[in-house]
Amino acid sequence: MLKLLALTSIKPLVFRLISLIVISSVLFSFATCKKDSRPSLLIYSPHGTELLEVMKTRFEEKHPGVVVRFLDLSSQEIYDRVNLERANVQADIWWGASAITFSKAAEEDFFEPYHPTWAEKIPEIARDSQDRWYGTFQTPEVIVYNQVAVKQEDIPKDWDDLLDPKWKERLIIRDPVRSDTMRTIFGAMILRQWQTSQTPDAGYDWLRKLDANTREYTVDGTVLLQKLARQEGLISLWDLPDVASAINRQKLPLSFCIPSSGTPLVIDGIAIIKGTPQPKLAQEFYEFVTTEENLLLAARDFYHPPLRTDIDKAKLPEWLSKIEIKPMPVDQALYKTNIQDWMRYWDSQIRNQNNR
Amino acid sequence: MKDRPIFIFFLAIVFFVVIWGVLYPNFSILITSFQYKGVWSLANYQEIISSSLILRATWNSLWLSVLTVIGSAIIGGSMAMLFHFLEFPGRKLFSALAPLPLLMPPLIGVIAFIFLYGESGILSRLVVKLLSLSNPPWRLNGSGAILAVHIYSFYAYFYTFISTSLKQLDYSLLDAARTLGATHQQVFFRVLLPLLRPALIGASLLTFMNSMASFSAPYLFGGGTPMLTLQIFNAKVNSQWELAMAESMVLAVISLSALIWLTRNQKKTIGGSKGVSLTTRHAIESPVLKLLALFVGIITVIIILLPPLTLLLISFAQDGAWTMEILPPSYTLANYLKVFFSQSFLEPVYNSLVMSALAAGAALLFSLPASYLFTRTSFWGQKVLVILTMVPWALPGTVLGLSFAASFNQPKFFNAGLVLVGTFWILPIIYFLRILPLVLRSTQANLEQIDENLESASRSLGATFFYTLRKVTIPLILPGAISGTALAFATAMGEFVTSVIVYVPSSRPISIEIASQLRAFHLGNAAVYGVLLTIIIGISLIIGRRLATLESNYNI
Repeated sequence: MLKLLALTSIKPLVFRLISLIVISSVLFSFATCKKDSRPSLLIYSPHGTELLEVMKTRFEEKHPGVVVRFLDLSSQEIYDRVNLERANVQADIWWGASAITFSKAAEEDFFEPYHPTWAEKIPEIARDSQDRWYGTFQTPEVIVYNQVAVKQEDIPKDWDDLLDPKWKERLIIRDPVRSDTMRTIFGAMILRQWQTSQTPDAGYDWLRKLDANTREYTVDGTVLLQKLARQEGLISLWDLPDVASAINRQKLPLSFCIPSSGTPLVIDGIAIIKGTPQPKLAQEFYEFVTTEENLLLAARDFYHPPLRTDIDKAKLPEWLSKIEIKPMPVDQALYKTNIQDWMRYWDSQIRNQNNR
Repeated sequence: MKDRPIFIFFLAIVFFVVIWGVLYPNFSILITSFQYKGVWSLANYQEIISSSLILRATWNSLWLSVLTVIGSAIIGGSMAMLFHFLEFPGRKLFSALAPLPLLMPPLIGVIAFIFLYGESGILSRLVVKLLSLSNPPWRLNGSGAILAVHIYSFYAYFYTFISTSLKQLDYSLLDAARTLGATHQQVFFRVLLPLLRPALIGASLLTFMNSMASFSAPYLFGGGTPMLTLQIFNAKVNSQWELAMAESMVLAVISLSALIWLTRNQKKTIGGSKGVSLTTRHAIESPVLKLLALFVGIITVIIILLPPLTLLLISFAQDGAWTMEILPPSYTLANYLKVFFSQSFLEPVYNSLVMSALAAGAALLFSLPASYLFTRTSFWGQKVLVILTMVPWALPGTVLGLSFAASFNQPKFFNAGLVLVGTFWILPIIYFLRILPLVLRSTQANLEQIDENLESASRSLGATFFYTLRKVTIPLILPGAISGTALAFATAMGEFVTSVIVYVPSSRPISIEIASQLRAFHLGNAAVYGVLLTIIIGISLIIGRRLATLESNYNI
């Protein structure tokens, strides 16, 4: 009885509290749902918030009254999203993913064809025959190493140098299963030796030796470069924009070299998403980030070498004209049909086999 | 049965949520798992059975989860008992700090572990330096590391569940047993443990499912240890969507089997308060034992405190400067200033708060009638319904997110034309489904401990059903319900894996901001958000506990 009496006195407090929480949260959420009446563009891109922020500001200056928003996602996340959002299209532009990913997405009808003004300045292999996507940057893969811990005479110059037993437990590599960059490199290593036997076996052997020297597979590129800087490992393979950015912007004690026998160039593209709410504005943004001026800016500050062939070599930033990039031919068709199987084989038969 | 219409109304709500939120999205997973390249087939399951990698991953997930439950139960349970029954110097402080790991969402906990125990982590380098080694004596990868993080993050479930239960226990039962000549051991095994059963089962379930579906730990330092969640993720990335779905089914079946097994022949009510007996806390007399208790307590507190302190330290460290030193060499306020004065700073914090509050509030409102239905009544299919509400918790976050998104991405017959993808609402709804079991479980555990006779008494004295519910039942279960809700709110605040799939600019949560700062090498800023998140979660849990104890004080 005592209990029941006591309860009646606190009951209102409890109910008031619950209803307060519910009502206030509902009100809050309505407040957040308020619509901005200005026309807006939504960009999905893995190029990093810094580059996106710069382009956003520049575009908004040129188009007063327009709001550019972006989501900084990995290309795999963008693929999943665009696929899910088909009936309720959110984004206008997908800026950044490898040509392989773009052509897969194009086949699944993700994109609105658009023929940019500079279409003819892009090499045949770096564009879709039906205008669904175009290449913007070409990204060389590089060997990256800790500048402090690797002696000048030991710096690996080419792919095969990485297999030297002296590097045992010295390599750390980005987990290749989930990375376009690493898949490209592993695929290129298999295709490099494909001609002799028409099988991936020689390539698998090479990857097995690489695994023998590998200390760890990291979860993403940032962790990879940080671990190199902290000397958990000394050498790795990664793409030039991220590496150069880590060296020059984040001041990590790293350095890189382009493999002397040639390196695969990953074509990085742009596309307009089918069903975009703002087709006109989307085209303007598409053109805007690929003007010579903005491509040079991306090259100078963010280390993305441009793909357009009509850009005056003299205008290219100094760092780019200094390095020599020898492209390694990659059979795109063969790569596309086989890479999934190769990666599955690698995941189950090669990964960590030496550590067990 | 004049209450029938009310029960049917409750049941209708439960059915609605279960059908649209759970059955419909998950049915599509089941169907997809039996397809191969769009054709009906068993190929995915054949692949699972024939692939040594996937089998190994399944086995690893299973035994790691079992070990996590055992380890967490031993540590969390003994801490709860120790702090409840014994009095020694520092007890209050230790018991206040014990649930601290709950404040750190998995992603943040794992990151803190890496900076502390990782190969170039603070503690590892300290040990290397002190012992003049060339390499740290441990490596933070593989199953050992995953188990360590799991136990660190999950023992607090046992600790809080058992502590709450101990506070509401009817100690006259223990006294009675003692007077009747039972030994300490007999009281413990025959009286105390059976009384704590609902709490133990609740905590074991949450821990087991959490660790089966755990992603951040294996993802960030799995490396050589294949785990099921990781294989699902890899299969998805490798465009083997159907295989990923079949693997998810395997995971869900294991988690749900654990649920069925743990809740088998669960008693409807156990004892319940029949008399008044105050907890007797025995002060430790022997000075040696006193010192020992203090020593153990201090070590425990250090272990508990190190990860959050590491996070705090990094939030003040200068980005990029820390390479070979034990501790970051230079400190700055810049990280905080940058975060607090950036234009978009408040947005993710605000979004997370709103969405988590919505989800937790809805879960509380849903759990009160649902737990009543599940414990006070019995009807055909009840057990199935209980299990179904647990499904969103048992599935890995990625799969839940994708299946839900795929079910509500365009107008279809089954979703009644409701398109949620690309809207603000999809995240609060997914959060709601995901955290619902937390609230439901703790409410149910509470309800099971309460003597049904109290309600009968109220009814027989002429109170109506609703009057009894409002004045007797709800006030009695509210402590558990509120602490469960606070926990649910905390979980939603730190949610990452599901959010990343479906967030939109207006629902961008803190966890996404942290990941994005990390990706951009802004370790310091990420840590600032991590500290902020930890503080918010801490405040919400403290408020939850205050409300809960406020209530339970009236229950004596």
